[in-house]
Amino acid sequence: MRAVLILAGKDLRLRLRDRSAVLIAVVIPFTLALIFATVFGGNETPRPFAYAVTDLDRGPVAAAFVDVLDRLAERDIVTVRRVADPAEAAELADGGTIDAAFVLPAGIGTDGTAAIEVIGNVNAPTAADVARSLAAAFVDDLTSVRVAAVAAAGEPHDPRRIAALAERAARFTPPVSVVDVSAQRRILDTRTWFAAAMAVFFLFFTVQFGVSSLIEERAGGTLGRLLAMPVPPGAVLTAKLLTSVLFGASSLAVLIVATTAFMGASWGAPLAVAALAGAAVLAATGVTAVVASLARTAEQAGSWQAVLAMLLGMLGGVFFPIERVPALKALSWATPHGWFLGGLGELAGGGSLREVLPAVAAMCGFAAVTGAVAVVRLRKAVRP
Amino acid sequence: MKALAIAAVDLRRTLRDRTNLVFVFVFPLLLVFVLGTAVGGVAVPRVGVAVAESGPLADRLVAALAAQGAGISVRRHSVGELAPAVAHGELDAGVLVPAGYDAAIRAGHAVTVEFVARPGTVGTRVGSVVRAVVGHEAGRLRAGLFVAAERGVPLDDGLRGVDGVAASLPRLSVSARTVGTDLDTGGRFDTTASTQLLLFLFVTALTASVALVETRRLGVLRRMLATPTSTAAILTGEGLGRLTVTVLQGGFMMVATALLFDVRWGDPFAAGALMLAFASVAGAAGLLMGSLARTPQLASAIGILLGLGLAALGGTMMPLEFFTPFMRTVAHVVSPHAWAVDGFTALGRGGGFGDIAVDLAVLLAVAVVLTAVACRRLRRELPGGTSRSALTRGAGRS
Amino acid sequence: MTLRQLAAPPTSTGTGAVLSCRGLRKSYDGRLAVDGVSFDIGKGETYGLLGPNGAGKTTVISMVVGILPPDAGDIRVAGLPMTLRALAAKSRIGYVPQEIAVYPDLTGRENLRLFARLYGLRAAAARARAEEVLEVVGLSGRAGDRAGTYSGGMQRRLNIGAGLLHRPDLLILDEPTVGVDPQSRNAILDDVTALSGRGVAVLYTTHYMEEAHRLCDRVGIIDAGRLVAQGTQRELTALVGQCDRVRLGATGDLASAGEALERLGSVRGIAVGADGIELLDTDARTALPAILAAVSGAGATVRSVTLEEPDLEAVFLHLTGRSLRD
Repeated sequence: MRAVLILAGKDLRLRLRDRSAVLIAVVIPFTLALIFATVFGGNETPRPFAYAVTDLDRGPVAAAFVDVLDRLAERDIVTVRRVADPAEAAELADGGTIDAAFVLPAGIGTDGTAAIEVIGNVNAPTAADVARSLAAAFVDDLTSVRVAAVAAAGEPHDPRRIAALAERAARFTPPVSVVDVSAQRRILDTRTWFAAAMAVFFLFFTVQFGVSSLIEERAGGTLGRLLAMPVPPGAVLTAKLLTSVLFGASSLAVLIVATTAFMGASWGAPLAVAALAGAAVLAATGVTAVVASLARTAEQAGSWQAVLAMLLGMLGGVFFPIERVPALKALSWATPHGWFLGGLGELAGGGSLREVLPAVAAMCGFAAVTGAVAVVRLRKAVRP
Repeated sequence: MKALAIAAVDLRRTLRDRTNLVFVFVFPLLLVFVLGTAVGGVAVPRVGVAVAESGPLADRLVAALAAQGAGISVRRHSVGELAPAVAHGELDAGVLVPAGYDAAIRAGHAVTVEFVARPGTVGTRVGSVVRAVVGHEAGRLRAGLFVAAERGVPLDDGLRGVDGVAASLPRLSVSARTVGTDLDTGGRFDTTASTQLLLFLFVTALTASVALVETRRLGVLRRMLATPTSTAAILTGEGLGRLTVTVLQGGFMMVATALLFDVRWGDPFAAGALMLAFASVAGAAGLLMGSLARTPQLASAIGILLGLGLAALGGTMMPLEFFTPFMRTVAHVVSPHAWAVDGFTALGRGGGFGDIAVDLAVLLAVAVVLTAVACRRLRRELPGGTSRSALTRGAGRS
Repeated sequence: MTLRQLAAPPTSTGTGAVLSCRGLRKSYDGRLAVDGVSFDIGKGETYGLLGPNGAGKTTVISMVVGILPPDAGDIRVAGLPMTLRALAAKSRIGYVPQEIAVYPDLTGRENLRLFARLYGLRAAAARARAEEVLEVVGLSGRAGDRAGTYSGGMQRRLNIGAGLLHRPDLLILDEPTVGVDPQSRNAILDDVTALSGRGVAVLYTTHYMEEAHRLCDRVGIIDAGRLVAQGTQRELTALVGQCDRVRLGATGDLASAGEALERLGSVRGIAVGADGIELLDTDARTALPAILAAVSGAGATVRSVTLEEPDLEAVFLHLTGRSLRD
């Protein structure tokens, strides 16, 4: 055990001195996560929708609608510019200056058959859809109050009674509402998603620095020297695996702390995150060790591991939701990446250690199987 | 001629490595296929609706969602599988109608319909549509409840009255239309193919710079100089080698995606020129990296960072239209990908050389500048160059 | 003394020997690399394993240091059997591999401290011992620099230093001077002599006759995996008898020249190389005109002639019919 610790300490020191190792372990995943999160937007939408509104009515109903828009603008969900001329509004939408324009016709409050016109830019389907929905919701609200009042008043048609009923109906809350429970339903937000995806993707490169150096030591002759020393043969291999695990775990730990502190990622319950991260490190070490045991040179190991890391990352859904391709859906569960991201998803809704146990178990399974294969193969390698 | 010989050696070294071949030719195509299938072009957002407890009112809501006509595909889903399916990306969003929906409404209680979506614009879009549909239903139910309360009748009678009035009452409506020129190029693989082309060309060129770093470290560069070969020939050869690999990859991807996935690249000559211009930038960037990095490991690490980072910033993973104006400016300042993406988008809309002239000019200018800087760096390492160079440091170690 | 007696294992049973090897055999893929090698090394004795490249020296060393299990035979270090897991036996040995087996990205000092710790020294002792060894191998001035930045000779010295840290009873050096400049080589040979003077047993492999000549109390000559003779240098040179060693630098048809020389009565051994011919002759001074005539008669041109007293090189030629250099 003493020799294992001394050897692992030596390897860790070498790695920390090696700039490219630190780059791959921490700097690159963090920077890419930051770039991705910035590009793909930290909020629900990458930018506020740009709307214009033309009020041809200038009555209280139109004002109420503009007020709805203004309240959204205050929350930075939309930007609203007021345009006097409907033709100008259409032109702005046509040119892409704005995503959509609302034209509130004269008589919107009085003429029952009036229509709010929504002019959307064809290349901003989301913004246009949202605009249409905003208008529809407003209209639905108005209509439902009027319908309620008219239906309650019954015959004969008494405008004053209807008006009084309408006032009461307006205070009657609609019984059904929509709540966005994405955060509670185990769906990672963008920042956490990219932080986690990049962390686990690069983990498979980071752990290489431990096991693969066994090949370098063999080529460089230091393995022979170590084996001629009073060091148990198993100690060398154990030290290499330990180096991988420690280096991978440090990399994940730094990334988790850094993305939480500087990117606003929220990983979830610390204990559960630690369990997932630990299991992921073990799985990555096992998979990498198998590759190292098959390769003859360090370069060969490096390039095979790169191919494997890319492939597993892709199948595990690191770059995009692979499960949209039904044929590949099952494959995502054949990767530690898939389990890691899935496990973190469980935590997004406030889950605890218990919820991530299946993912932890699956990754430990990967680690056990690949680790066993690697140890059997590598035990031969530490004997010249 | 000597330059060609050097380039040929370079090319052979790159192509001899089987892992390289996988990265250069197989992987990009695979990604185009998978990405195109998964998120390509005109994919219809998929929404799952799960009903915890069936009832006339709940079923009516589901029917209304299914009939929303906003270009969103809605299908029934099991309750337990809904959130995981969204979390894993199988669905873009999910709507859960809770147990006791009917009963609660009849009792006059407020009910919440749960909505889950992956973060992103698709989720936002689906969310707004779902809110509109539910809002419409909620309006009808409110009116029905109000009438029932006012007249002391059961809810169903109230709703009947409301429906009767709603059908006869002149009502405010929403008319929607879209304007502008449709930028969507149509094929589900089109955008994916051009963006993956850019991503991989750049990554390949940068990681190929590892070979140059090795050449420098092994002292092969010095040996070449010991032969009667001019510095210019060596640099041209090294640059040409980089460029050939990149252009081979680009040409292969364009032809293969056109044949396999029916990708329309637009005017073939203009598209070819654009690819060539971008390949020059990528090759020059690779040359610069190869001249700067001290170790191959460092070169490949930074290659991954720049290759993926600039690609993301340049709009190869999310259309530039979705960027804020500020980020769009940033993209065009730091990322050559942004200009190439603009160019391919223009060609996809049926544009020709005239429409991509600016993009071509910018890319070529960047390529020239990067090459010039790289050549200066490499020249300095050659004998007669200044000070302790990376070359002599590398040679001293061996 | 006959050849057979010399090549046979020593009669002493090795009690008190620091290293004792009996009947070592190892084959790779059916090819016999080491075949029946036996020898002993006593306290303070320097034993040289002399043979050309590929003779099996490194294979013998690998078995002795316990990183290669022999197919047959027995190795004892200070009476302890050596195996892959024989940690006690291993701690008696200081091993200096043929490669520069140090970590280029650690400094010289860090390398030595690491290896000292792995030899079982406590942290403080390891630190102190590393400084002593740095002094011994003359690297104190560069101890804080990365080993990768050292010159070839300095790296070799560090490589040796790493084998001295735990004051081993037996120091095993596998061709420690390959690729070293003459000055560093001298320093290394002096170090070995000094260590031997302090009672350390040394096993030294080389294909340089001069090194074996200068360092070794006893020499084992190994060729094609077999120990063809061993003994003191005096014993070995006696095998050659009164022969002189003649080196002819020559060009032309050397093969025919060799055949012509073999027909001369006084020639006892001959080796034809790329740039000349080496031969043993019972009375070279008298036979030289005949030798030169035979060579030129066969169509070769003699460029230089060297005549030497019997030495280890002559012994090797005599025993194997080949030159050490080839």
